[in-house]
Amino acid sequence: MELRDVVKGIMPVKISVESTAADALIAMMESKTDFLLVERTSIDDAYGIVTQRDIVEKAVAEGNDLSEVPITDIARKPLVVTNNLDLDIRWIAKKMADENVSKLAVFDRDNFMGFVSDIDLLMAAIMDTHEQPAKEAN
Amino acid sequence: MTSERLILRDIVKTFEMPTIDMNSTIKNAIERMIELNNYSLLVPRKNKNDAYGIVTKKDIISKVLAEGKNPSKVKVKDIMSKPLVILTNLSLDIRWVAKAMANSQVSTIAVFDRGDFYGYVTEACVLDGVYNAMRRAKLEQGVEFVSC
Repeated sequence: MELRDVVKGIMPVKISVESTAADALIAMMESKTDFLLVERTSIDDAYGIVTQRDIVEKAVAEGNDLSEVPITDIARKPLVVTNNLDLDIRWIAKKMADENVSKLAVFDRDNFMGFVSDIDLLMAAIMDTHEQPAKEAN
Repeated sequence: MTSERLILRDIVKTFEMPTIDMNSTIKNAIERMIELNNYSLLVPRKNKNDAYGIVTKKDIISKVLAEGKNPSKVKVKDIMSKPLVILTNLSLDIRWVAKAMANSQVSTIAVFDRGDFYGYVTEACVLDGVYNAMRRAKLEQGVEFVSC
């Protein structure tokens, strides 16, 4: 199974770079998502991403007041990107493991395609074995 | 400060953690995770001298899929994390619960109270706790909290 089969073309919920960790937490809870895209300020800036893990490990764990932690302190920036849609999901999984992230941004050449999450890969992995039961025959 | 008053007891999930047998395949584990919408499964111990284990989505991504292994061939016991990362002090401030997760690089911590399995706590539990505390604080101040 390839990356193009698992990528989700859904635009993630965005949050401004001027927000705080508290804003991010509220946005996540209200839109029932586990990550947010941090907008860039100009064309030469990079997008960032904030996940549940970032809020827990970098804001709550430090004992800071979430409404005083700027989002830029906890966001991961730039995004971990992949742009080869023919890539086997094995290598997508490897990239996630190596970079220690749970979401990858997917680009088709210059166009933003969407995100792929670790849960998408798990779902793809069991579908893959349904279709090709004898794949691992080597 | 909103997160100051929160302790482990407020956020721990006391119902039983879903389990999986250590001899099941990873394919079974993934199916169970998706079915229950819970991405960490407890692996029960064999006897009193054994330790509990845990298998999470991260274990599956980095130890099975990333290695190109077939999920129907790999068993839970091959990739599980064992023994568990545990906390025993139910009065621990939420800050240190979060720090424990960060230090051990895990997303789920088992909670034991005087040697008995009490429950478990995940990143989502921590955030739910903080979010609800923030909401309560805003309500007490009389500020209208925007929510839909």
